[in-house]
Amino acid sequence: MSFSAWLELLASGLITGGIYALVALGLNLQYGLMRILNIAHGEFLMVGAYLTWMVQTQFGLSPLWMIPLSFALLMLLGLAIHWLCFRRLTATSPNLDVFEARGLMVAFGLMFLIQNAVSAIWGGELRGYDYMTDPVAMGGAQFAANKLLVFFMALLFSLALMVLLRKTLLGKGVRALMQSPAGAQLVGINTRTLHPLMFGIGLGLSGLAGCLLSMAYTISPAMGEPYTVTALIVITLGGFGSMGGALAGGLLLGVIEAIGMHFTNPSLKALLSYVVFIGVLLFRPKGLFAK
Amino acid sequence: MNSRNLLWRDLLVLFGLSGWALALPAHASEFAVSMALTCLMYVALSSSWGFFCGTSRYLSLATSAFFGIGAYTTAVMLGELSWFGVIALGAGLATLVAVVMGLAVLHLRGTYFAVLTFGMAELIRHAISYFEKSVSGTVGRVLATVPEMGTIYHTVLLLAVLAVALSIGLRRTRFGLALLGIGGDEQRAQTLGVNTRLVKVAGFAFTAAIAGGVGAAMAVRWTYIDPHTAFNPFIGFQTVLIALIGGAMTVWGPLIAAIVFSVLAETLRLQAPQIYMMTLGILLILCVLYLPGGLASLRWQTFKAWWQDSRSWWKARRYEWSGDKARDKRKARENRIVGL
Repeated sequence: MSFSAWLELLASGLITGGIYALVALGLNLQYGLMRILNIAHGEFLMVGAYLTWMVQTQFGLSPLWMIPLSFALLMLLGLAIHWLCFRRLTATSPNLDVFEARGLMVAFGLMFLIQNAVSAIWGGELRGYDYMTDPVAMGGAQFAANKLLVFFMALLFSLALMVLLRKTLLGKGVRALMQSPAGAQLVGINTRTLHPLMFGIGLGLSGLAGCLLSMAYTISPAMGEPYTVTALIVITLGGFGSMGGALAGGLLLGVIEAIGMHFTNPSLKALLSYVVFIGVLLFRPKGLFAK
Repeated sequence: MNSRNLLWRDLLVLFGLSGWALALPAHASEFAVSMALTCLMYVALSSSWGFFCGTSRYLSLATSAFFGIGAYTTAVMLGELSWFGVIALGAGLATLVAVVMGLAVLHLRGTYFAVLTFGMAELIRHAISYFEKSVSGTVGRVLATVPEMGTIYHTVLLLAVLAVALSIGLRRTRFGLALLGIGGDEQRAQTLGVNTRLVKVAGFAFTAAIAGGVGAAMAVRWTYIDPHTAFNPFIGFQTVLIALIGGAMTVWGPLIAAIVFSVLAETLRLQAPQIYMMTLGILLILCVLYLPGGLASLRWQTFKAWWQDSRSWWKARRYEWSGDKARDKRKARENRIVGL
């Protein structure tokens, strides 16, 4: 294989990996902070993608405008869902284990509800639109412009979230809650505002990822589930609750999939990611990068 | 009622119900029989799931894998073995997989266990469909000679009765109590001398054996089998939903919920599949939020508590919206100033 072919392979892996990382960061925020394993995360991504598609085809608005809009809409939806479901769940669950199991079940319910609501509204067929499809040459290799844009945007927003968590007072509060919920509450961090806000931001990120995805790929009501599974794999790779781990894990999984698919066979893609997933869970349950 | 009376009551109810189910095909239409068959399938699946996962609180999402292993065994072996041989083989293979899987993953708890069993089920599904595509060179298998409807019905009925009877009987033995202890506090159970590893693997294997047998028996209802119908993750999800909505800790909860769901499924699913799935989602959420013990925990007091909750909620809203709350607050503030 020539150098440029390797470059192309690596880059295509990194491009899918960037999206994986963005989706996984949102899920990780919810799980790491509140122990809500949101199985419906991919469905919210799908909602974001459909919103972008609808606005693009109906009003001819550039998908770039939909990035902040889908983030805001999904964040509002997240606040509403937290207020309706998880607030009561936190109040009634006797301990964290029970809360985790019940939260998982609520998320399953949300998954059924949203996936089927979308397919009832917009139908089950594949949809998509053209946006920046010209190829771009870079270092002897060719890439689709929209995929490059998607990659850079995904990376930008992932890094923005990490900077937010690392540098601001809000982020400090969130990290404190992740390390020790009781201790954080003792020093005056209010979980009642921080939990809904972070749940909303998690969903907002998935809406944003959906918006980005719709620029480069076709969308359908069933598109969410594979992304949920991939996000789960990524956060196990990176370690539950670790943001840097999720970013690195996402990029790594994208590259592993691209290389694995190149050398074996595209239908092995799902098999490969599950093997990685189960291998990591069995042998390094704390994540690849844990000390 | 003491424990022995309860045992007799449960066994008598089971006897009556199974007699009724046995007599059903002679009187009912073909549609009703097929509905009853789906119902029995979910009774068997969710009762056996509830027996292990409900009491020990290990949330397994691998039911669809065991079901699929059974179904695929039928697809491959139906011509070569007798009907009962096929079902025994399906159940046996599923048990074998469960023992191996259980030894590997049953030391993990909570969400890790749920996610891992789901991952394993998907891995098995993808592995078999890859194997079929690249080694056998087919995407699915056609079942040419299938047994009569009556045989299938009686087999599934037998499995369902077996699952419920075992879950009634075993609940009272040391084994059942050990599972309950693991659900309560695993470390304490271990300290009290329960071999938790053995008990968990045995419970998991029991769930898998029933699911494998049911899969093997139900496979002949589809004349064409491919990995994606046999290992349909939805069967696993629905089993878990039924057990949880019914009340996974109880004997009769899963049975009641299975009947409700089969009726709902058969009436809604064909006309409006999306509405059916949305109803399922909403029911699940409402059930987890307002009835965490499941349908079996529904008592007259539950309705009373809901009524009182909603009334006190409404009272608080009225107090707020009518301006009384703001006025009381202002008064309290004024009193404080006067008091100074």
